[in-house]
Amino acid sequence: MAATMSERRVVITGCGMITPLGRNTDETFEKASHGLSGIDYIKGFDTRGLPCQVGGEINNQWIEELQPPGAKRLQAYSARGLRLMMAATHEAAGLARLHEVTDRSRIGVALGSHGDNPAVDDINLLHRFYDGKGNWDLQGLMDAGGYSALNFFRRKPDAATSLLSMLFNCKGTNLSFVSACSAGAQAIGEAYRLVKEGTSDVMVAGGCEATLNFTGFIGFVLIKALVEKYASPQKASRPFDRKRNGFVMSEGAGSVILEDLEHALARGVPILGEILGYGDSADAYRITDTHPKGEGAILAIQGALDDAGLGVGDIDYINAHGTSTIQNDLTETRAITAVFGDRAKKVPVSSNKSMLGHTIAAAGAIECILTLTGMHRSIILPTINHEFPDPKCDLDYVPNEARMQSYRRALSNSFGFGGQNACLCIAKYEG
Amino acid sequence: MTRNNDEGKPHVTDPVVITGAGIITALGDTVSDIWSALHRGISGINSFEHAGQPPCTAAVVQDFDPAGLGIHPRDARIMGKHTHMLIKASRDAHHFARMQNASLSPEDIGFYAGMGMVDYEIEDLLPAVLKSIGEDGSIDYDRFYASAYQEIHPLWPLFMLNNISFCQAAIGLEIRGENTVFSPHADSGALAVVEGMRTLLDHKARIVIAGGVSETVSPLSLARGTFFDILAPETDSIALCSPFGNNRQGTVLGEGCGMISMELRSHADERGAAYSTMISGYGISCSKDAEVNCPSIYGIKTAMQQALEAAEVRPRDIDVIIAHGDGTQQGDRNEAEAINEVFLESPVQPVVYASKAALGHLLAGAAPVDIILGSRMIEQKSIPPVAGSYFPDSTLRVNLIKDLPLFAKTRRVMINAFSYEGQCSSLIIEAVRV
Repeated sequence: MAATMSERRVVITGCGMITPLGRNTDETFEKASHGLSGIDYIKGFDTRGLPCQVGGEINNQWIEELQPPGAKRLQAYSARGLRLMMAATHEAAGLARLHEVTDRSRIGVALGSHGDNPAVDDINLLHRFYDGKGNWDLQGLMDAGGYSALNFFRRKPDAATSLLSMLFNCKGTNLSFVSACSAGAQAIGEAYRLVKEGTSDVMVAGGCEATLNFTGFIGFVLIKALVEKYASPQKASRPFDRKRNGFVMSEGAGSVILEDLEHALARGVPILGEILGYGDSADAYRITDTHPKGEGAILAIQGALDDAGLGVGDIDYINAHGTSTIQNDLTETRAITAVFGDRAKKVPVSSNKSMLGHTIAAAGAIECILTLTGMHRSIILPTINHEFPDPKCDLDYVPNEARMQSYRRALSNSFGFGGQNACLCIAKYEG
Repeated sequence: MTRNNDEGKPHVTDPVVITGAGIITALGDTVSDIWSALHRGISGINSFEHAGQPPCTAAVVQDFDPAGLGIHPRDARIMGKHTHMLIKASRDAHHFARMQNASLSPEDIGFYAGMGMVDYEIEDLLPAVLKSIGEDGSIDYDRFYASAYQEIHPLWPLFMLNNISFCQAAIGLEIRGENTVFSPHADSGALAVVEGMRTLLDHKARIVIAGGVSETVSPLSLARGTFFDILAPETDSIALCSPFGNNRQGTVLGEGCGMISMELRSHADERGAAYSTMISGYGISCSKDAEVNCPSIYGIKTAMQQALEAAEVRPRDIDVIIAHGDGTQQGDRNEAEAINEVFLESPVQPVVYASKAALGHLLAGAAPVDIILGSRMIEQKSIPPVAGSYFPDSTLRVNLIKDLPLFAKTRRVMINAFSYEGQCSSLIIEAVRV
């Protein structure tokens, strides 16, 4: 076992996404660059009586249309989140011409995913076999045969990773991440390391989430993390704005193909960008709160810079976690200020969640790709709904309108419930 | 960074060594208690009754009082048994590595774990369900959505997140370094150790605590295993987990957790930490059997061969394989076939041990517990017998250690861990040469 990592460079040769704003990367970016919101009233389940009734849902027809060949046979096993991921990966794999890679054992998959939530119908079924006094009629449940094994299967986080591997014939390293909102970024970060050290030549990496159902949604209602006051759905997500009061839950998937530079050059595949560094950390503070000074976030951001061998002067843009919660946006601002010092107010910082909502495990991957796409088009996506400046959030948040500005290197932040933090350093590929 | 070892192979001079371990299983909560029980052929698999259910067979952790962990009641509300086991084993790994004397900053310590599925307790949701039952006995969704959902405890959603137990353990130990959580099968615990190892080799942390914890055995976990058709059938007597046995009919769920502390040898030497074993290689692959919920022969073989290459050793250099050996019909057959193919040319067949016969299938906790047992084999120069009274399946041609312990010098142990979806991992640990 080599004691030191090889110095392989890790490039991005494919990317894809499906979001409330669009069927793919181009459509999502195009709408986001015009400051459009993908948030609306939830139609997928009944929200009467709930304090939050908005979310970023994905058009079911899109999901059907975008499934790759072979996905149909896996549909019964596939959670909605996985189906989103299949669509996103189909786009990414096409760009990277993944099918041309001959040694499939050198292609791995790293996926942030949490599987399906138990449905209200599940609870309805299960309660019939429970007397409320601790006694279960397990045999009755089994005999009823009503609780399908497929329900269990779709809840398993590794099922998505495994099925994605089968669909795209990836026989290498296979990792399933369940680190909440940082899962997508952690999946890309760990995949980057696997390619960098030579364990894999190619990695399919990213995250997916589809928690816009009653059981998934109600959890966040109960912990009062969701927005409850909004003039309209499109105005609900307002990161860094003084009137922000919670995040908007959305669904989506983002997929990138990471590849060893030499491997990509030998294949002659277009190179879209490069991952320069990755940092991750834990808050070790409280389960329900982020560290007030953003100490965990600082470690992750600094870790990514150190890993990339860069200083704060080398960073042109920060894609914020920016959830639109009072706490996150404040501590993230403090963390950026702590790391960037005097330069903090000079670096554009924006939150894609202002338009997309929070796609949980998919967020890190989607935001990584939007950052990369912005580099190619010299467009920094805006933070929309930034109408009432918060004096405690005093950075340049690219308010309301996209900015035409070229940039070469960026950071993308992802911070998870419980205190897991990740930061990716992304760059334009310049040979 | 390398020199030649006594077999003419290049040898890493600053390997990742194991400096501490924490463990809890149905056979005890210390390495020595579990080791002693395994040597005496004792199995932790037993019949148990849980909250009025029919008797089930599993290797559950009993007599473990989490009160000793000193958990604040505020935090206890969102902890399950899996959380308690993880906290206990992580603390022990931290303690036995004498980290408190190591002048470490919180960000110097990495933390990685495989976590099993987190199942909701029916009691958590039942009040909301009961409050919304309509006249026909089904849920009246209007009632449920309008107000009954408020019967659910506000912190219940946090309990359901796989990473929350992990974060609670990190908070307790004040760990702020590199971290992640994998889920849910045996490969995930192995991957946590691999990620920890890579973090150390990449100098991203000075010490790493890594391992995995099983699911809490519950009606839902048993139902899940039953529906996946991986569990040994319940009979009049206790269901057996018989790895590579001719009467094997499936696996038996177990509860437990294994966590190890690891660091570069130079770092351990610098601070005077004790160690005797190191992790020298790993392999990871993914390939599912075409017919059954288990990895293919190709997938298992690939992971084992990768581990051998990474450790820069030949098959003949492996003395013991701690097999995944979960007692399933096709799973054991595929693993045996892969072992036979990898070790075909080896003049001496390695001894095969399978801990699941005694500890049950710990899923995400399985591989880390096997790493701890493998280290013990190297230290104690002995291998416990596979528990249970059954006959090996002679068609599988594995050199299974049965009935009595084997006392023999053990230099290297290979540990296999698989998921039911095709993910395969293989690690090699070996004695550290002075």
